[in-house]
Amino acid sequence: MFKIIIFLVTMLMAFPVYALDGTVLLKQVDRNLNPESYEMYRKLINVEPDGKKKEFTLFSVKKGQDKVAALFLAPASEKGRSTLRLGDNMWLYIPNVGKPIRITSLQSVVGGVFNNADILNLDYAVEYDVARVEETGKEHLLHLKAKNKNVAYDQLKMWADKVKKLPTKIECLTAANMLIKTLYFKDQKDFGGGIVRPAVIETDSPLYKGYKSVMIFAKIKKRSFKDEVFTLTYMPNLESLR
Amino acid sequence: MIQIAILFLLLFFPAAGFAEESYTFDAAEIEKNPYHFGGYVELRPVMYVLDKDAALYQLQYYQDPRSTLMEWNGRFQLEGSYEKGIGRVFVKTNTDLRYSTFANGNERTAIFDGYGTLKPSPSWKFEAGKKTLKWGKGYAWNPVNFIDRPKDPYDPDLPIEGYIMATMDYIRSFDGPLKTFSFTPVLIPVYDHINDDYGVNNRLNVAGKVYLLLYDTDLDFIYCADGSRTARMGMDFSRNITTSFEIHGELAYIKDYQQPFLDSAGVLQSRTQDVVSGLMGIRHLTTFDLTTILEYYHNGTGFSADDMKYYYNYIRQGYNRYNSTGNAQMLNAAQNLATGGYGRLSPMDDYLQLRMSQKEPFDILYFTPAVTVMFNLDDKSYNITPELLYTGITNLELRLRAGFIRGSRDTEFGEKTNDYRFEFRAGYYF
Repeated sequence: MFKIIIFLVTMLMAFPVYALDGTVLLKQVDRNLNPESYEMYRKLINVEPDGKKKEFTLFSVKKGQDKVAALFLAPASEKGRSTLRLGDNMWLYIPNVGKPIRITSLQSVVGGVFNNADILNLDYAVEYDVARVEETGKEHLLHLKAKNKNVAYDQLKMWADKVKKLPTKIECLTAANMLIKTLYFKDQKDFGGGIVRPAVIETDSPLYKGYKSVMIFAKIKKRSFKDEVFTLTYMPNLESLR
Repeated sequence: MIQIAILFLLLFFPAAGFAEESYTFDAAEIEKNPYHFGGYVELRPVMYVLDKDAALYQLQYYQDPRSTLMEWNGRFQLEGSYEKGIGRVFVKTNTDLRYSTFANGNERTAIFDGYGTLKPSPSWKFEAGKKTLKWGKGYAWNPVNFIDRPKDPYDPDLPIEGYIMATMDYIRSFDGPLKTFSFTPVLIPVYDHINDDYGVNNRLNVAGKVYLLLYDTDLDFIYCADGSRTARMGMDFSRNITTSFEIHGELAYIKDYQQPFLDSAGVLQSRTQDVVSGLMGIRHLTTFDLTTILEYYHNGTGFSADDMKYYYNYIRQGYNRYNSTGNAQMLNAAQNLATGGYGRLSPMDDYLQLRMSQKEPFDILYFTPAVTVMFNLDDKSYNITPELLYTGITNLELRLRAGFIRGSRDTEFGEKTNDYRFEFRAGYYF
């Protein structure tokens, strides 16, 4: 009888682990990082090997699964530029050029290690399927596979805190398992409105030896927008949303 | 003992104590002001190595021959805006300064943009004042950009002066294959002192554009009614085939286009015909960040190789007459023809432009070398422009550029004023 009880208790304790649904976990990670629709401010810092820095400040808005826009607020040379993403489509609007031009996810409008896909990122669950989940002590290790070839990185390895269900590190890989970059999630902060998440993402890349880029988050707020905000015609007017 | 060890470590390995660098994001950096001021200042010295046998050299320098020309260019732009509620006003002024030992100094100041905006909702926007529309998808040329002043295909990102107009934008978004619809009607008045270089005076011109994002393809349909300029219509498209490969194109139809030209006898004639212009282009990015832009442009309003040959012959006759008699009448007439069309930046029928730029080679951040080749398909002459761009210092942009022009006599690039050109541009944003 005692053996049966021990067996049942063991099975009950083990059940949550075996029942762990990677897709549900990934969606929880997404929701813990940001509300589905939000506004936020970000500062991007590119740090060169000699310590020299270049900073960019952005105001970003997102709606639903596939609509993101970002407006450059600083430095003066970039002010007024905006980027828009609708699913796999991305555009850059430069006030002097005047018309939005199509850009690709692997390009970078800011230079440095962050590319356009990092700056205009969608929910991970929108772009990636969970191939498998491993347990690594206090963290889950999610192996993610891009849903299609339009996604910037073919594979991701995401380490997520088991309790907080927030990523601590993400490795971005090619189809051939080559490491493109690593994102480190740091400095957990309470942004209000129930949003508690890392306030800093650092990244480095074996392709840019010695360089580092940092993204700092501020004023993340749940907010709803009309769909028309996420259109080419609206790109010159993003400032009016602030 | 431990404290001594820590002190020792901090003294000899100070970085260890600060390995975890903290980053700050001051709220003042993102505070919104209702007003904004900014600007841009530029210095751009250019040295030309002139081609004394070229027709356009003879047209320009017949009174003051020289083998090189040093030109000092400056640009100063100021912009400001004020926003309140659903309204906003924006003004941008531009001052160009130029000094050379040939033309001495000259200065031109203009309001490039100056308009008011009312935006009662994300779906509606009304604007009135001086502005540009920038229609079209092409990088170097935009045959469907019927209203704006033409851009410089050798420097397409330069700001251009607008026209006074009233516009409206209506935007709708949908779920499904058609994601976005927008409609932009435009009114352009042409009267004394209002857009009087646009075309025939005393007309209120009507134009419009419909934009669709349909099946992940940008589509524009453009119409410009008969008025100060003859009626014209066009369409353009742009689409990403893959994450790193984009295609775009434009097609324009102009009704009753009137073109003055010189015949083989050097007599000024005029022809009126319906013309079609078009552009096809690709933009490709490799895994090692090499961006290639390739565009083919057919200019329906352009001159044929024979037209240009007759024009260059006319200049040569005028140059010979000036040298033998001192009479510059023919050269003055040729100057007027240059402003009437022969002097356009892409005056002929068919062009191919290839631009390749390598982002941050050898891990040099913010450094972009590029080369642009402009090829005239009608007469096989060409222009090669290598350049080095560095943007590593915040708000400062440094660009070094050269131009190498090749072509035989009676070809577009063979008859340009210069064989070589070296340019440095330092621009600072504030």
